[in-house]
Amino acid sequence: MDRIYRIGIDEVPRHLTLNEQEHLRLTFVVMPGISADIPFEINIGREGVNLEILGLYLSPHSEQVHFKVTVRHLVGGSHSSQLFRGIVGGKARARFDGLVYVAKDAQKTEAFQENHSILLSEGAVAETHPQLEIYADDVKCSHGATCGYLNPDELFYLRSRGIPEKEARKMQMISFISPVIGHLPEDLQQQIISRL
Amino acid sequence: MAEEKDILAAAVSKEYSEGFVTDIEQEFIPKGLNEDIIRLISAKKDEPAWLLDFRLDAFRKWRQMTPPAWGHLSRLPKIDFQDIIYYAAPKKDEERPKEIDPALQETFDKLGIPIREREVLAGVKSKVAVDAVFDSVSVSTTFRKTLAGMGIIFCSFSEAVREHPDLVRKYLATVVPVGDNFYAALNSAVFSDGSFCYIPKGVKCPMDLSSYFRINASGTGQFERTLIIADEGASVSYMEGCTAPMRDENQLHAAVVEIIVEKDADVRYSTVQNWYPGDAQGRGGILNLVTKRGLCRGENSHLSWTQVETGSAITWKYPSTVLMGDNSSSEFYSVALTGNFQQADTGTKMIHIGKNTRSRIVSKGISAGHSENSYRGLVRINPGAVNARNHSQCDSLLIGSECGAHTFPVIRNSSPSAIVEHEATTSRISEDQLFYCNQRGISPDDAVGLIVGGYAREVLSRLPMEFAVEAQKLLSVNLEGSIG
Amino acid sequence: MKYLLEIHDLHAGIAGKEILHGINLCIPKGEIHAIMGPNGAGKSTLGAVLSGHPDYVVTSGSISFAGKDLLAMSPEERSWAGLFLSFQYPIEIPGVSITSFMKAAVNARRKAAGELELSPAQFLKLLKEKMSLVGMKGEFARREVNVGFSGGEKKRSEIFQMAMLDPVLSILDETDSGLDVDALKIVADGVNSLHSPQKSALVITHYRHLLDLVKPDIVHVLKGGRIVAEGGMELADRIEKYGFEGIDG
Repeated sequence: MDRIYRIGIDEVPRHLTLNEQEHLRLTFVVMPGISADIPFEINIGREGVNLEILGLYLSPHSEQVHFKVTVRHLVGGSHSSQLFRGIVGGKARARFDGLVYVAKDAQKTEAFQENHSILLSEGAVAETHPQLEIYADDVKCSHGATCGYLNPDELFYLRSRGIPEKEARKMQMISFISPVIGHLPEDLQQQIISRL
Repeated sequence: MAEEKDILAAAVSKEYSEGFVTDIEQEFIPKGLNEDIIRLISAKKDEPAWLLDFRLDAFRKWRQMTPPAWGHLSRLPKIDFQDIIYYAAPKKDEERPKEIDPALQETFDKLGIPIREREVLAGVKSKVAVDAVFDSVSVSTTFRKTLAGMGIIFCSFSEAVREHPDLVRKYLATVVPVGDNFYAALNSAVFSDGSFCYIPKGVKCPMDLSSYFRINASGTGQFERTLIIADEGASVSYMEGCTAPMRDENQLHAAVVEIIVEKDADVRYSTVQNWYPGDAQGRGGILNLVTKRGLCRGENSHLSWTQVETGSAITWKYPSTVLMGDNSSSEFYSVALTGNFQQADTGTKMIHIGKNTRSRIVSKGISAGHSENSYRGLVRINPGAVNARNHSQCDSLLIGSECGAHTFPVIRNSSPSAIVEHEATTSRISEDQLFYCNQRGISPDDAVGLIVGGYAREVLSRLPMEFAVEAQKLLSVNLEGSIG
Repeated sequence: MKYLLEIHDLHAGIAGKEILHGINLCIPKGEIHAIMGPNGAGKSTLGAVLSGHPDYVVTSGSISFAGKDLLAMSPEERSWAGLFLSFQYPIEIPGVSITSFMKAAVNARRKAAGELELSPAQFLKLLKEKMSLVGMKGEFARREVNVGFSGGEKKRSEIFQMAMLDPVLSILDETDSGLDVDALKIVADGVNSLHSPQKSALVITHYRHLLDLVKPDIVHVLKGGRIVAEGGMELADRIEKYGFEGIDG
């Protein structure tokens, strides 16, 4: 199952419970100009679930974007991953709150969570609260978060190959967001890339 | 053959060898907290008016505040602040007021704390100057004269107030303001003793300085205050240790530590926290609610925190650094071990203000038994913190299926030239590792100690030598019986 | 006591599934025995059961080691009694140096034998001596146990530990078909240089090549959880030529 939520256009359920053995992929896309609070909770109620949550936020002006994602592993033997990537510029503020909760006895859970932001300008703010709350020992859980800027060495490399700076920067941004948008339908990908 | 569940059975039983009580005549002030009590504490210590005013101001602020409830500490009881004795001190022999009471001497001997210089000079151990605090008073500070020869001031806080009031007044509450948080405000109102240390310009302190805190009396709390100032180009390594008797009651420890690091100065602050953790059923133990913060005020200043937290029923502690000076840097290295019903919520804050500021966080949590162990941290990069860098690594190790391990970091970046990286993992001691050690003849208990020591090595290796040995021993003792 | 190791009608398995269906095997003091067998014959299971791996369950039969009931002993007691298993896949222990690991092992064993722990100087001497015996450089002692080791380094580390612990029975689980010639040589050199009339070894492999290097006294063939044939090197020759097909009890 593949579900795509374009924030501001598609309705986002606040709460989901997964009781079927399934592979579910959810993608959240926040386009430039959109400010939103996105609270989203998902409970995994059985083993064999494979949940993948992807999120993209492009906030170059004065947007305020706030993801609040909670994934609860109530029983063991399931897999969840979260990957949120965003580019923040202007006076925009982006915040990611992500909680992975693993209940007692939810053994053999695998849960991963990542949030990466690129900050383009003075005045922009990126904030991340990646949280792990774990009550079972035989689990594989990790999270990672980074906040930085486009790599100048990479930029130089592209330019040295004759790519104009503006285009090179765009390529870098495409490369940065590609893990999140790679599986999206071609027209949506193009739409996103055209807004970079 | 034993099931894995049995092998990694939950209960962490431990021997707490510092749990004895010293039988000594002590003077107490009445229970409870009000302005009269504060005046009484101030009078006991013969304090100047400005300090009494400081205390009263703090008390008034505190009364308006409520205890923080955001910690992941379900077992933190509601504390009745009127049911605590805020000052307890061993009675002085009136005929020999300068002598150390033999009972106190014996206590510190038993704890392995050298409170006489000749013992240190005669010993093979490295030279350490000690300020030993027993309940509400400092009983001895060694090597004061030797250090004074280099301009270093190392004494109890009370003496500093008497002998160096200008310095105390200049720096007190400049890093942790009186109303910073509930427990810091409480400490500011009632603090009794603690250590004071000033390293003058350009001086490298020739020996490690240390404070040792001992709670003895029942029904009391300990509220010490430590102030460390490293002036331009100075450097010092500071160590702190603590223990308390085994009791069924909870006892409150609410300290404040402030550190000021000037231009080009370097302070290394190490703690081995071994307060009584409570018994196997979770009865008793110290409530360790402390505020520690350093200010890297000058350019190129450096502050390093290393902590090994094995004791206390409750730990609520976030040694933090404000990186104000350009090119200043700070590290936080932590091992927190919880067993039985202990709960720890500990971490750090790194506030980047200056340009090119650097910080690094390495946190290793180990949970066993029915305990809860949380890392909580904040990395904040302010808009002007050009080229700031932070890297955080927070690992959790779970031993048994009845405990919890949590990671609650916050990163807030407002500087487009900054790079902040955080990673966290959760693991357990694998059955394969245990069996491999067993096959080589290492018993399950020793194997757990060995594996946990390896897991924590990056932090332990930062401690001064003697502390590292002590810390490694504590980790092993506290894990004994955590399996099979 | 005629035999150092005496396995009688051993039935054992893992996760409720029986893998060994009645093994009988005896190793006298001073001999090197080999176990050969196809994949899935139960070779690694035998090594795991002998060393007391907690996942493996013995349902019936007996094992006596140096006159004692091996099955009643914990893994570390077996180690103290002189049984050593060289792991097919040695386990990584991050942060723990080879030195601390071996110090803990050597001293635990001395303690169990009622001997005093080695002083740091004595231990260092022993460490250096055994390292040079297996051709290792000083930096090795400071490395973390098996972390980032190449295949050959892992083997060398196992043989070094064997030298340090000076076992009376070494069990070498070399079933991995991925082992290269150099790694096999490390194992063989180790077994040969540490061998004496007081000691025995059990080499588990399906390579004839390893056996050429260690020259076992007896070769046992393990197939379908049973020992189906016993003989000398000629048995290994036959397996080399014709495979395990047709070798039956």
